[in-house]
Amino acid sequence: MYFEEAVRMLLANPVRTFLTIIGLIIGVGAVISIEVLGHSMAGSISETLGALADNSFIIFPGTMQGDFQKAAIRLSDLDAIKNSVPNIASATPVSGTDELIRYGHNLGRFFLSADSNPPFANTPIAYGRRISDDDIANAVDVTVISWKAYNRLFPAGGDPTGSSIYAGTHRYVVVGVRAQPRQGALNVTFGGDVSIPYTTYVREYVHGDRILAARFTVNDISTLPQTETAVINRIRELRQVGPDVRYQSFDKASFTQGINGVFSAITIVVALIGAVSLLVAGIGVMNIMLVSITERTKEIGTRKAIGARRGQILAQFFIESLMLSSIGCFIGMAIGLGIGGFVNSVFIIKLTGYTAPLPYAQAMAITAAFAAFVTAVFGTYPALRAAALDPIEALRYE
Amino acid sequence: MNNGNPHPAIVLRAITKTYKTGALEVPVLHGIDCNVARGEYVAIMGPSGSGKSTLMNIIGCLDRPTSGTYVLDGEDVSNLNDNALAEIRLKKLGFVFQGFNLLARTDAQKNVALPLFYAGINGRERQRRAMAVLDEVGLRDRAHHKPNELSGGQQQRVAIARALINDPAVLLADEPTGNLDTKTSADIMALFDKLHDGGRTILMVTHDEAIARRARRIIRLLDGLIVADEPSSLTVP
Ligand SMILES: Nc1ncnc2c1ncn2[C@@H]1O[C@H](COP(=O)(O)OP(=O)(O)O)[C@@H](O)[C@H]1O
Ligand SMILES: [Mg+2]
Repeated sequence: MYFEEAVRMLLANPVRTFLTIIGLIIGVGAVISIEVLGHSMAGSISETLGALADNSFIIFPGTMQGDFQKAAIRLSDLDAIKNSVPNIASATPVSGTDELIRYGHNLGRFFLSADSNPPFANTPIAYGRRISDDDIANAVDVTVISWKAYNRLFPAGGDPTGSSIYAGTHRYVVVGVRAQPRQGALNVTFGGDVSIPYTTYVREYVHGDRILAARFTVNDISTLPQTETAVINRIRELRQVGPDVRYQSFDKASFTQGINGVFSAITIVVALIGAVSLLVAGIGVMNIMLVSITERTKEIGTRKAIGARRGQILAQFFIESLMLSSIGCFIGMAIGLGIGGFVNSVFIIKLTGYTAPLPYAQAMAITAAFAAFVTAVFGTYPALRAAALDPIEALRYE
Repeated sequence: MNNGNPHPAIVLRAITKTYKTGALEVPVLHGIDCNVARGEYVAIMGPSGSGKSTLMNIIGCLDRPTSGTYVLDGEDVSNLNDNALAEIRLKKLGFVFQGFNLLARTDAQKNVALPLFYAGINGRERQRRAMAVLDEVGLRDRAHHKPNELSGGQQQRVAIARALINDPAVLLADEPTGNLDTKTSADIMALFDKLHDGGRTILMVTHDEAIARRARRIIRLLDGLIVADEPSSLTVP
């Protein structure tokens, strides 16, 4: 009954109702569409980073320091670290080199890199298998190639495993092909195009003891940050350098944290925009409710004369405010989801190769919170005022 | 209707009313004493400013007397709080206004049923009872017309139906024919006669002598005092 009457009132003056809720529509629409975009950007970044293994980190010397030569990690350090730092499962060199790769008459310049097990990138396998522990133990001449290299070298398609490809005079047997990663301008491909066991790489390409960087995997992922620090300290000991020499580490969790920091800053800005638009729109709702109550003073008097209690008048106008703000907020939500979805499908997908599903539950929660807030803050006073009207005065009002 | 109930409908004892506007005190009623028995049909007359509306507001439980005792249908209502007065208006009183005071954009049936909504009665029962009362005032076939689709007389009938729906102890009407032409006024007065014949207690303010003579008793006010209280001499033609 209250709802029925509220709907009747709002429909009685459609233009006024629309003008009142337009602020809510714009405010909620803006917040929801930015929410959708933030959600899909964050989703696409975590999707991209998903190709990195969780349990690993990479350490490399800071490149801007004077004694770079002295800071460089040595191949021989890896075993020492593995044997002395707890929680290290594997320690492998990170290195690579540009090579002209050939299969039959097909040629291409690709990044040939050292890989280990588990691999650098956990991209799914399209054909064959990954590099195995046996391959590494025996420094076998095998390779897992990327989808890009596969397309160039094997344009006819089909399963290439067992075929031999050449890097100069080195021959590698293809044992696997990594699947195509998602296509998008912002996407990074992790791991080289032609991955070979790191032991094979060391034998064929590393001259001397110095390596570019090292990759470590851990047994217990929960203590990965402590393990990182322990490894860096151990490297300083081994290289006999002080704390002034910097080593950088890169792992998925801390990188994701950095990204999340950026998104929480965006979220705060959006929340501020939302708050300001809510304030303005809420004042509009309060204003129109006060006007409506003044116009309906005689009606309120009549209702009281025939027996409506204060609480019942309060409920009527409170519900009218609730309807007004809910309609505005939910239209805003629909428009926000529409704009967000549209920008996702024409723009974000080109940028990242990925769109997150629309966050309906989150949008509903935000919208309901906005509507509840506007009603509670801006609908209460007009409703109280209507409820407090003196019936005699109200009946006399013309 | 309520025939077994021994109480008079209305008992007023030494009722005074003084309005306070700032430091200024305006005494309006100076001590009203009167009883209205169940089933009586009373007209209140008096010049403008004599206190008719003030008295009706007190009888209608829209306002409290400054002093004195008011017993409505056996219950002392002189000093009730706002919500308790609302409850009394809902259960024991029916109001008919000069300007009908129907809800616009709301059909006759829903207008009539409104007090039942405030009494917490469910929708189906509200509809059923509203139709019964609309039938009583001869508007069953207009149940789904909105006020702007009804003539003034029909609107006032809807308002009377709304006043009757809670089976009130007293029906109060302040100038019920003030906005109606002579012909329509006669129809409304005929309806009041019918309700009176059916046993309703009716209290009506009017300044039209002819209308007042339709009642069985006329109370005359002057400067906040009852100056005459007598049976109406004229019989209905
Ligand atoms: N709320 C009020 N405050 C002050 N004076 C009032 C108020 N209401 C009525 N009065 C005064 O009381 C007197 C009687 O008013 P009212 O009962 O409306 O008379 P009637 O209905 O007989 O014309 C008038 O002089 C009026 O000015
Ligand atoms: Mg008056």
